[in-house]
Amino acid sequence: MKRSKRLLVLSMLMLFALATIFTACTSQPVQEEHDAADESKAAQEQQSEPTEEVEVDVFQFKVEIAQELEKAAKEYEAANPNVKINVETVGGGDDYGAALRAKFQSGNEPDIYNVGGPQDIKDWMNKLEDLSDQPWVDLALEGILSGATVDGKIYALPFNIEGYGFTYNKNIFNDAGIDAEKIVDFESLEEAVKALDAKIKAGELKDKYPLLEAVFEYAAKETWVTGLHTSNAVLSQEFGSSLDSFDSQNVEFKYGDALKAIIDLQADYSSDADSKAKLNAVDYATQVDEGIAIERVAIIQQGNWIYGGVRDIDENVADNLGFLPIPVKGVKEDSIPVGVPMHWSINKDSSDAEKTAAKDFLNWLYTSEAGKDYVINKFFFIPPLKGYENLEPKDALGKAVAEYAEAGKTMPWVFMGYPTGWGMEVLGTEIQKYLAGDITWEEVISSSQAKWSELR
Amino acid sequence: MKVSKFWFCVFVLPILLAFLSVVIIPMFMGIYYSFTDWNGIGNTPNWVGISNYIEIIQTDHGFRESFVFTAKFAFVSVIMINLIGFGLALLVTGSSRLNNILRSVFFMPNLIGGLILGFVWQFIFTKAFDSIGSSIGLSFLEGWLSTTSTGFWGLVILMSWQMSGYMMIIYIAALQSIPESLKEAAKIDGASAFERLKNITIPLVAPAFTVGLFLTLSNSFKLFDQNLALTNGGPANSTQMLALNIYKTAFTFTRFGLAQAKAVIFLVAVAAISLTQIYYSKKREVEM
Repeated sequence: MKRSKRLLVLSMLMLFALATIFTACTSQPVQEEHDAADESKAAQEQQSEPTEEVEVDVFQFKVEIAQELEKAAKEYEAANPNVKINVETVGGGDDYGAALRAKFQSGNEPDIYNVGGPQDIKDWMNKLEDLSDQPWVDLALEGILSGATVDGKIYALPFNIEGYGFTYNKNIFNDAGIDAEKIVDFESLEEAVKALDAKIKAGELKDKYPLLEAVFEYAAKETWVTGLHTSNAVLSQEFGSSLDSFDSQNVEFKYGDALKAIIDLQADYSSDADSKAKLNAVDYATQVDEGIAIERVAIIQQGNWIYGGVRDIDENVADNLGFLPIPVKGVKEDSIPVGVPMHWSINKDSSDAEKTAAKDFLNWLYTSEAGKDYVINKFFFIPPLKGYENLEPKDALGKAVAEYAEAGKTMPWVFMGYPTGWGMEVLGTEIQKYLAGDITWEEVISSSQAKWSELR
Repeated sequence: MKVSKFWFCVFVLPILLAFLSVVIIPMFMGIYYSFTDWNGIGNTPNWVGISNYIEIIQTDHGFRESFVFTAKFAFVSVIMINLIGFGLALLVTGSSRLNNILRSVFFMPNLIGGLILGFVWQFIFTKAFDSIGSSIGLSFLEGWLSTTSTGFWGLVILMSWQMSGYMMIIYIAALQSIPESLKEAAKIDGASAFERLKNITIPLVAPAFTVGLFLTLSNSFKLFDQNLALTNGGPANSTQMLALNIYKTAFTFTRFGLAQAKAVIFLVAVAAISLTQIYYSKKREVEM
């Protein structure tokens, strides 16, 4: 009797231990997927098509479109009842690349995910589905697929086109009597900034803009603003394209002085001009939401993606934003950098059904009328494809980018081809040290050059 | 004898298996990866020998700076947290009627997640401090987190605020286990309040100090969330602690092999420091 009791206890313990270990090893979602599939099968028996339920996991980085993308997914699900789209968003200040790697390592590989430039494409090559046969390939704008093409095969669909420049508040410029049309090079920009600065300091604009305290706000804490975007304007004159910068073994900083001039201009006329080290604590929200959106500053270096955020705070400000060029002294002074920030790609290792559904969803989003409506009017994207002729960008900044693009006043985005981590972790932090006064500009250049060669 | 061996296995085996599968095996896999150039995506990694370790020792200044910063931070925060925690414990074991409320209040910060605390304090340091500083003219309150020293003290303040309540609970338990009779006897013998604290309370609380120092020391060394949320290593990576440095090596520079090598060094260092501390703290404990 006693013995059998012991045996019972023992076997229960072992069972418990084994159960714990094995349930810990199986991935939960697989289980759920099967359950869901079984249930839906029963539900779909009345339908003529015995299609199996497919779940497509989207892991994307654009926080600004997260809600609207989920709505678009719902609409797609309504039209395709056998497909379920799960949208997950990690982005903004977070490092999407880190989250994506963690996601893949956890075993829950997404079906649709995002890749940036050449380095990403190379890193993820084993996980990228060849999309060359997709219908949107023929619709792509000239040269727009170059960043996603390897050996003639196309591996990703561009999100959109984005542009950034010196985003300025047209109302403030008008009231200060400054003609933005005349700002076509560095000299005229500097003049305008000085004139505006003098007016702000004299309190002339105080009545209309009580919060206005400086010309610029510069988010040096966000090293992508400094290390990627600011530097790109200058390095795009050295490299020409992201593929060139990706192949380059070293960086010369041919127009390093022009870069210094752009950084100094933004720092010297910022609200922290008297102690520039404080710029290192200025983040995106301070620059955009608590900067240009509340009319605390007149110009910031940001792109058309800020439109939605600014509109949520003050529609009147958002609709009166425009772009001034980022003038690279002595080289190209009238242009803004325009490029493809991210691409959609499909996981090669997903099941065929998932891949088909994923491709169809991307197709629907970018080529159907309903999808286009989302892309233009809800995401505020500037489309990377043809066929959007009757759908003009609605927001002020999108229009401004389109105007620059039409006029040919653009520079490419070469920061996609920087060595991994170099732009943000090396150049961006060196610029922080420079702003804090710890090192000279020459040291910024020399250590950034050395690190580039080392990381290649 | 035979039976007890059998039961020993029955009770230890399940937990041993669990421990093996989630701690020991991953640790050895990590050590293996530290000898490779793995990029984190699943391509087969190449064996590179000890070159990762050589790189860390010879050329990786960032790691060394993080190590020094972390050590400094751990030193200061261990002292601060334990002093404040012990002080709070003395305060709330007195005879006030507010004791229970105060205990909950002091413990509360510990219930909030590190990331959220980091963002809340970021707001306090960069916005609240700034406006207080500019309105009453104290310039040292302005521009917090934009320099290395304010970033450092920001982290210390945040951690002290969060961890002190937890240490307080440990010290309360220890303080309450001291027999009243000992203190009373000392009082009758004419010992002052300070002498009673120094010669009776502190020696008898020594075991709790061992625990408290160990917890704060290892937590300070392993700090990640608060560091990420409060400063994210900025400005210019000068407030980057070891865990964050390892994380960035892995996930930003995508050098998982190198990051694993750093993690192995990190593990050895934290273990060595913590064990040394326990050894010396144990020696100071007294039996009643």
